Amino acid sequence: MTTITYSKNDLLNLIGKKLTDEQLKEAIDQIKPGVEKISDTEITVEHYADRPDLFGIEGLARAVRQYLGIQKNEKFEVKDYKLTVDAEKVEVRPFIACAVVKNIKFNDDLIKSLMNIQEVLHETFGRKRMRVAIGVHDYDHIVPPIKYVAASPADRIVPLERQEEMSLKDVLINVEKGIDYGHIIKKSDKWPAFVDQKGIFSFPPIINSDRTKLTENTKNLFIDMTGTNEKIVLQTMNILVTNLAERGAKIESVKIDYDKKNIVTPNLSTEKIVIDLKDANEWVGVDLSAEKMISVLQKMGYEAKKEKNKFTVFIPPYRTDILHSVDIFEDIAIGIGYMNLKPEIPNLPTKGGRDEEEIFSNKVREAAAKLGMQEVVTGIMTSEKDQFERMNLKRTEIAEIENPVSVDFTIMRHWILPNLLKILSVNQHVSYPQQIFEVGDIVVLDRNAETQTRNVRKISAAISNSKAGFQYIASIFDALMKNLKIKYKLKETDHPSFIAGRCAALIFKNKEIGFIGEIRPEVLENWKMEMPVASFEIFLETLGKK
Amino acid sequence: MARYKLTKEGEEYLKKGLPEKNLALILNEFPEKTATIGKIISRIKNFPVALKWALENGWVQKKADKIILLRPPVEIPEEKGLKDVFSGKTVDDSVLKVLVQRNLVEVISETYLKTQKEIEKSGGIEELTHDMMTTDLWKGKTFKKIDVTKVTKKFKKTSEGNLQSYRKVIEEVKEKLISLGFKEAKGPYVEMNFWNTDALFMPSDHPARGIHDMFSMKTPKYGKILNKQIWKNVGETHKNGWRTGSKGWGSWDEDLAKRLILRSQGTAVSARTLYNWKKIPYKMFIIDRVFRPEAIDAQHLSDFDQCEGIVVGKGLNMKHLLGYLETIAKTMGAKKVRFKPSYFPFTEGSVELQVYYNELGWVEAGGSGIFRPEVTKPLGVNVPVLAWGLGIGRLAMLKLRLTDIRYLYSDNLQWLRSKR
Repeated sequence: MTTITYSKNDLLNLIGKKLTDEQLKEAIDQIKPGVEKISDTEITVEHYADRPDLFGIEGLARAVRQYLGIQKNEKFEVKDYKLTVDAEKVEVRPFIACAVVKNIKFNDDLIKSLMNIQEVLHETFGRKRMRVAIGVHDYDHIVPPIKYVAASPADRIVPLERQEEMSLKDVLINVEKGIDYGHIIKKSDKWPAFVDQKGIFSFPPIINSDRTKLTENTKNLFIDMTGTNEKIVLQTMNILVTNLAERGAKIESVKIDYDKKNIVTPNLSTEKIVIDLKDANEWVGVDLSAEKMISVLQKMGYEAKKEKNKFTVFIPPYRTDILHSVDIFEDIAIGIGYMNLKPEIPNLPTKGGRDEEEIFSNKVREAAAKLGMQEVVTGIMTSEKDQFERMNLKRTEIAEIENPVSVDFTIMRHWILPNLLKILSVNQHVSYPQQIFEVGDIVVLDRNAETQTRNVRKISAAISNSKAGFQYIASIFDALMKNLKIKYKLKETDHPSFIAGRCAALIFKNKEIGFIGEIRPEVLENWKMEMPVASFEIFLETLGKK
Repeated sequence: MARYKLTKEGEEYLKKGLPEKNLALILNEFPEKTATIGKIISRIKNFPVALKWALENGWVQKKADKIILLRPPVEIPEEKGLKDVFSGKTVDDSVLKVLVQRNLVEVISETYLKTQKEIEKSGGIEELTHDMMTTDLWKGKTFKKIDVTKVTKKFKKTSEGNLQSYRKVIEEVKEKLISLGFKEAKGPYVEMNFWNTDALFMPSDHPARGIHDMFSMKTPKYGKILNKQIWKNVGETHKNGWRTGSKGWGSWDEDLAKRLILRSQGTAVSARTLYNWKKIPYKMFIIDRVFRPEAIDAQHLSDFDQCEGIVVGKGLNMKHLLGYLETIAKTMGAKKVRFKPSYFPFTEGSVELQVYYNELGWVEAGGSGIFRPEVTKPLGVNVPVLAWGLGIGRLAMLKLRLTDIRYLYSDNLQWLRSKR
């Protein structure tokens, strides 16, 4: 979600109709973005990633205008190119688009809007300038011919807001934007640059030259877009120039002369998609006539032509999100209004039910609670210190996270007992006896599994009192097993977390499924605990399958 | 006559030296044997104690924030005293008095002596007790062997048990969903990117796949491809739309799809279900953990429960989606609902569910939509699939009257017990 604050006045001017705050909020909410707040002068809108065309104030105004039927949808005019940009092969940023925009009326609103949209598109759609970067220049300070070249780090530029010329390499070291975005191009030894007769005027995705910066006298713009994905580069250009056109600017195309192909940008011709009237009606659950369907589509900014039972829908050049006819279907539903669709429950009888393992888990949980134990729920992510070190265990291979956010959550738990001891350790001021348990999953490594790991269901219980001996925990365990009608055996065993000679393996159908015993005082000391603890932990997996 | 032993602090000083001595040693390293407090405070544990005794002994002098070493300590009776108490030798009364006053040495209690005698007599500790833990009596002793193969004690209930309150809410919600015909599904915590994102048609460079939005695994790193056909279908759909009628994204990073991650959304299980459950129609739900690299606060956890479901059947449409949303919300206790357009990468006809609570007004309660054909078709499903997710944590917080989400997984035993 991208949150943007706009001037309310500018937005209403661009919409071209006086709307109350209520009306404005309602319209924007129903189109898709969410209005977060409206004040006397500002409006803050939360945007979704699929509609970058609405990020700019002009695009947002256009959508409201269309939705409220204030103005008919219009075609964008593009004047044929006079300018050709010769594009060399630049490995790190192979794709470009350019445009000339004339007849700019510079004022505060436009400047603010241009800065806003550049920043937002860079961050979101441009993936922090990685995928697309935008440069906007005063065209009258450029001396064509313009070339897109693979420059050397030693080539020079006077960067924006600086007086002295410096090498591109120095820009990466000394200029803020260079430090922030240099990593995008550093892997190559040839860096992207736009040059004219006077030298480099744009160093994407880093910075523009000071020479071509915008001033209040700027009348004509040259826009450069560069990136790693051609489609996205072209789409971003379309979003930007159609926004400017909303303010009355005239767009002129530019011919891009690559080594092996030529393209003309921006290309504002509309793409077409053919949809079936029946499909659209069925998908939404309505029965609209062809005429009604066309008017709904117009409300959402599309022009459409009926051909028998099908429609040709013309996709506006700024709509970057239309991949499939379902994208049009959604807009039809939005055009009708979600609140105008009557919720229905279809006749679709299905039998509900629980997962087998959950049924058994719940039996165990309820039985454990009846025996006087408090259920707890703890984190799956934990630390080596808790799982191994404090438990007097050697580190074994375990599911481990590459990008943990905290030293306390670096691995997936491979047993639950440490989490229970942690709870007991922070509750030493609370009345005893303390008897807690958790039924939950741990993660074990499993080379045969698709995910190389498996979730395994366990129960772990810990009791703590001034005396918490083996027979005490064993009596609880025994009662639990009797309650579940499960026969088991105990076999003496050793476990580093338990007192030697005070730990038994739990045997079910000749398989070890867990252990029970008294926690070693050294372990208690590691948890800074002064009350003895006895515990058991078993796998429920095998136990559940009787 | 009373017998003495070292306290924990006393033991520590025996091992690491008295703090006042350490202070003197450190000052000795400085030019002119003088240092500001700021320079040395972090190098000495219990600095105030160290300074107090060093001043008292006349070893140092304090001038403003400077400390000057006057004479390095030669003989320290307290240190010898600690050694002697430890090894059981007699200690001079005046030294002993200081050590007791400084809480480095304490009198061995009668019960301690008695217990110690008992342990020696019976050849090991019978039962570890709270007293033994606080006095460290267990140290250096063995435990008596007991028979751990038989349960001899009869069970006697000693306290009231209780199920955890959030789990209770979750179980109630499960029951309600089951009554609406939903069947419970499961999936692994460590998941393949493929099921968590690629099968959901989230492009390889989608921002929600970055390191700030998902946990990646260090071990194990890559999953195993079990069904090559499904991988091909999904890959082609990303690259060119395959047979879904879509334009696709134009590219797909297969290696990234193989990467193991912690599942960041319950929708991963929906994708698995679409592939695994062959008998249509069906309704499926899952309530289980997901993991996201969030900074933990009253609103955010990095390890929390999500509730999601799908409805799979012929002829399903947007009105049905709204119908299920309304029914589910009302079953959970909402009085009024409303719908707003929204966006999820894997649904089209994306809906935000808002419900009305008297206390809070309109609240966002969940998200939903119809799965894109780019999601369903590659997994072999050719009918519409309605998908929804419910903010189960928020619902539970409302029911339990909580403002801090961390209480859902509380470690506060008093609070847990109070929620009976």
